Amino acid sequence: MGKHYIPNSAHKEEMLKEIGFSSIEELFADVPEGFIREFNVPEGKSEYEVFMEMNEILSKNKTVLEMPTFLGAGTYFHYVPAHVKYLIERSEFLTSYTPYQAEISQGMLQALFEYQSLIAELVGLPVVNSSMYDWGSALGEAALMTVRLHRGKRLKFVVPKHTHPERMQVLKTYTRGANLEIVEVKWNDRGQVDLEDLKEKVNDAAGVYVEIPNFFGLLEENIQEIGEIAHEAGAYFVVGVDPTILGVVEAPGELGADIVVGEASYFGSPMNFGGPRAGIFATRNDPKFIRQMPGRIIGMTKDAEGKRAFVMTLQTREQHIRRAKATSNICSNEALVAVAAAIHIASLGPKGMQELGEVILKNTAYLKKRLSEVAEIPFDGVNFKDVLVKFEKPYQEIHEHLLQKNIHGGYYVKPHFPELGESALFAATETTRKEWIDALIDALREVL
Amino acid sequence: MIEVGEYKIKEGLYYTKEHEWVQVLEDGTVLVGITDYAQKELGDLAYVELPEVGKVVEKGDVLCEVESVKAVSEVYAPVSGEVIEVNEELADSPEKINEDPYEAWIAKIKPKNLEEELKELMDAKAYAEYLKTL
Repeated sequence: MGKHYIPNSAHKEEMLKEIGFSSIEELFADVPEGFIREFNVPEGKSEYEVFMEMNEILSKNKTVLEMPTFLGAGTYFHYVPAHVKYLIERSEFLTSYTPYQAEISQGMLQALFEYQSLIAELVGLPVVNSSMYDWGSALGEAALMTVRLHRGKRLKFVVPKHTHPERMQVLKTYTRGANLEIVEVKWNDRGQVDLEDLKEKVNDAAGVYVEIPNFFGLLEENIQEIGEIAHEAGAYFVVGVDPTILGVVEAPGELGADIVVGEASYFGSPMNFGGPRAGIFATRNDPKFIRQMPGRIIGMTKDAEGKRAFVMTLQTREQHIRRAKATSNICSNEALVAVAAAIHIASLGPKGMQELGEVILKNTAYLKKRLSEVAEIPFDGVNFKDVLVKFEKPYQEIHEHLLQKNIHGGYYVKPHFPELGESALFAATETTRKEWIDALIDALREVL
Repeated sequence: MIEVGEYKIKEGLYYTKEHEWVQVLEDGTVLVGITDYAQKELGDLAYVELPEVGKVVEKGDVLCEVESVKAVSEVYAPVSGEVIEVNEELADSPEKINEDPYEAWIAKIKPKNLEEELKELMDAKAYAEYLKTL
């Protein structure tokens, strides 16, 4: 053990001589001073010593179980039933990544087919692919798909200004190469899409986008009308959805959506510092739409003996076959995350989905009511998970105080939307306890 | 009909090396399709992405795409001109190309430089010879 473990370090002189240098210093002569330092690698330690040291470092982290958290804005603490983890750790799922020799992986394909079927039922559109990287990349792909549906003749995509800022950034990155113009629609004094502004900006748009709920956690009240405005202008209607709400609200497909995107990993996956995730992508059962859909679709068919079999369909459009002419540049999916979501959703069932949505709505409503006792709530309306709160003091001061009280506060919104002042998003889910909210309000009273 | 192995070649049409055929109609417009060789190479067709009526193409441009169970392939414009009609039947029944490739035309083009461009295409005999070299 020790220093000689580094491969070939015993041959340093020999190697230097071979490439024509007499010393390491001479080899790195071009590296500016101050950037070179000796690494002081200690002698080897036993596994137990390393384990204890790592454990000590890790113990500085606090999880949501040790510290009530109100941080949401895109990543939420949901309870994942224990059996989900055990099922996806079966090696048939865990090690297969993306099945390259697809048809011999019947079990994996069937699980992904189940995922597609469950999502189709939830979002109200029958054609679902076997997942994108995340909600953001699904949105980027949806924007590009609306352009393809217009055969490249429309290069404008209209989105609410109050789309999640990080998702907005992914959208812009995805569409930059295609020269797509991203046009932002204002919010009105209720934190909802300003329909008049939308009507002014919708001309020549390839697509119009709206989210359920929006960045402020509010349920947009005019989803159907926004869709009608889009369709009247010849634009396609894209709806982004947090699927945990779909047990209690109308499916976006029923509200006129041509494409639905969203985040599947809210089911089945822990927060994992925000990833890996799985993007939902669904569209109409119309060849015109299906041919322009990105990603891979698992289909059900019959084999040569007439038995049920699962296959990857529409592979011919994908990048490994079509190269530069492929429909999109996604050649893969988030198979394991999608399977985890499918297991979680199937475990909940229709009744569980409804209860989940109801509990989140109730907890969010209680959080909002209590927050309104101590701070300004800029927008009324119905919230799901996130609630926008405006403070008179700098929010970071408040956040620091909450941390000292062993409470993790919300998401600081001002850096993205300075016009909203010292505001933050506080989130509740089905996991949020009443006493956590009450403790939060007590702690806020001390500092406000 | 000329036959080269399992491939049929219809006389009276013009052919490209990319396996499109051209039929000159009495009114001076042309029908464009893909050959028996092309459809057999592609296998069962699943989808024809028809060009838009009004599309203006130069000879050699991508006219449209055909998709089979194993590949997506471009169909190139064998002559320059404007697409004035498309065979809408193929949108729902792409298999018609497999059943009778010389009947299932894809687009009708109003050519702009037909006489000259025809000289660059092969007749049935020349195309038959060409297939023998493949």
